[in-house]
Amino acid sequence: MATKARIPLPRQTAPRSIGRSVLLTLPIALWSLLMFANPQRQSNRSLQIASVITSVFMIALFFMMMRTGSTYRWRRWFFVALGILFPVGFIHNVMAMRGTMGIPIEEMIAGRTPFCYLPIPLLILPAAFTKTLVFPGSILPGGGMSRQGMAAMAGLWLAITLVVGKGWCSYACFFGGIEEGMASVLTRAKLRKIDLRWRYGPWAVLLAMVVLSLALFEPAYCLWLCPFKAVSEYVAARNTVGMVQNGIFVVLFGGLVIALPLLTKKRTQCAFFCPFGAFQSIFNKTSVFDVKIDQTRCSPCVLCQTACPTMSLTEESIARGETLMSCMKCGACVDVCPKNAVVWHIKGTEAAWKPERARLMFLYAAWGMAVMFGGSIIAEGLATILHVFV
Amino acid sequence: MGLTSGPACMASCGPVVVPSLLAERAGLRPNTRYLSTFLGARFLGYLLFAAVAWELGALVSLPPAPRMLLIGVIHVLLAGVLLWYAYSAGRTCAQSCSGSELVSIGVTNKRGVAGAATLGFLTGLSLCPPFVAASVRAAELGSVGAALLFFAVFFVGTSVWFVPFVGLGCVVRNEAVTTVARMAMVLIALYYASLGLTMLLGRRVYGY
Repeated sequence: MATKARIPLPRQTAPRSIGRSVLLTLPIALWSLLMFANPQRQSNRSLQIASVITSVFMIALFFMMMRTGSTYRWRRWFFVALGILFPVGFIHNVMAMRGTMGIPIEEMIAGRTPFCYLPIPLLILPAAFTKTLVFPGSILPGGGMSRQGMAAMAGLWLAITLVVGKGWCSYACFFGGIEEGMASVLTRAKLRKIDLRWRYGPWAVLLAMVVLSLALFEPAYCLWLCPFKAVSEYVAARNTVGMVQNGIFVVLFGGLVIALPLLTKKRTQCAFFCPFGAFQSIFNKTSVFDVKIDQTRCSPCVLCQTACPTMSLTEESIARGETLMSCMKCGACVDVCPKNAVVWHIKGTEAAWKPERARLMFLYAAWGMAVMFGGSIIAEGLATILHVFV
Repeated sequence: MGLTSGPACMASCGPVVVPSLLAERAGLRPNTRYLSTFLGARFLGYLLFAAVAWELGALVSLPPAPRMLLIGVIHVLLAGVLLWYAYSAGRTCAQSCSGSELVSIGVTNKRGVAGAATLGFLTGLSLCPPFVAASVRAAELGSVGAALLFFAVFFVGTSVWFVPFVGLGCVVRNEAVTTVARMAMVLIALYYASLGLTMLLGRRVYGY
């Protein structure tokens, strides 16, 4: 049996110098200041303070990533903050606008509800066949986003997706933070035996919702299955059906976002249910960055497999030296590997080719996106809380 | 008329056809066999409904209450058959590991009614919008024979749009695809069951 040749690779245990870390943080600091130094915010004192706090928060986290060489634990602070503060800002806005979190069906049909990206992949086929969007959000001309605005959003999403792939789900999605927070509460999982077939759940939800949305010409996911309706806006319950719908939202939220992440230490909603995540997985194939397992260094101890919050590593995939296409590039597996065998990677290069450079390039793209999407949501949520005091 | 309303028929039957086809074996031949069985049974459903409705004089003016009742019952039956299909496809897959082959409904061996036929028959009765539109035209004809002929030609027109579904035979079948198809069938079944039960209980969705 041939022995594996070990490629010398310096292990990143010692922290970077402060000066070098500051230098590496500088581009993100500039981007962050550009994002949050908005003159329009000057009139709103609480938003002004929130913007400063958010900007410092995002810069500090990136600095710590540079200084320590660790990604996951610092990203998690941002992501949990995003998950918690999104409902705060959102519910405040909805209450101020409508006086209730319940949306009457007339409002939904008229598209007078806020934009949400989750149902987009489910509505592509109805739009392709009928040139009509059965979308429960403000994208109608005059009611929200214009056609040009939609095109710009789609272009931005495409550009981001081509670079970070499913990294969207760990650096920009404002829904995944709560479950990531819940998954961090216990030190050890109470439920360890999970049938691997549940990983196919998001694809099943995607398939079922696409064909149902096309057949019934309604946003089936938004009406019946979105767990996040429980913390954003729900269907105004005027009858038994409305009550059942809201009951489903609460049960799904309680189960997939609160209880199961707590017991399994996995992001169960993302890993087993989210149809947008399944759709985004496709673009992991086109993304420039991925995570590789350097076979010459791997024991394998399967610590990475245990740490992965979305079960995107299996013994087979580790043996192949790669993650599954559901990998969200959160960095948990990279950070936990005691032998630095799990590495960030730029496609087209050798598995162990300058992994820290690959990490830096990925993080600039991903954190830039995080500041742009997540940062503004965090600032909005913080401003809502500060508004009580300031 | 069949050709023009075909996309709506395809969309209407999509939740039933797509996952159940994906639970079948890979290859154009088994998928063609599935679709032929499905469409044949759907054709029978069409003709049966047209003949019965004509005899009862209710081809066009089926009152809302019995129509809701009929659609509700069919949705619940579809849900039941889809659940059985998902269960049976898993059992067959566990034996062959490469997708099922025309799952049987009713008994555990091949002598049962083909699942594709059961699904096709029920979708043929499910009063989708193109079917109702065709009923209006058929009611204007002079005899039940002419109406049945109209439905037959209408059926041929709509069936052309189902041909692309055969292409699903080219999708590789493995544990992932079969499991996704079965899970999707369960979700769709639950959706149909909720719609059907809502109709049967006489509830109006959203208070309208």
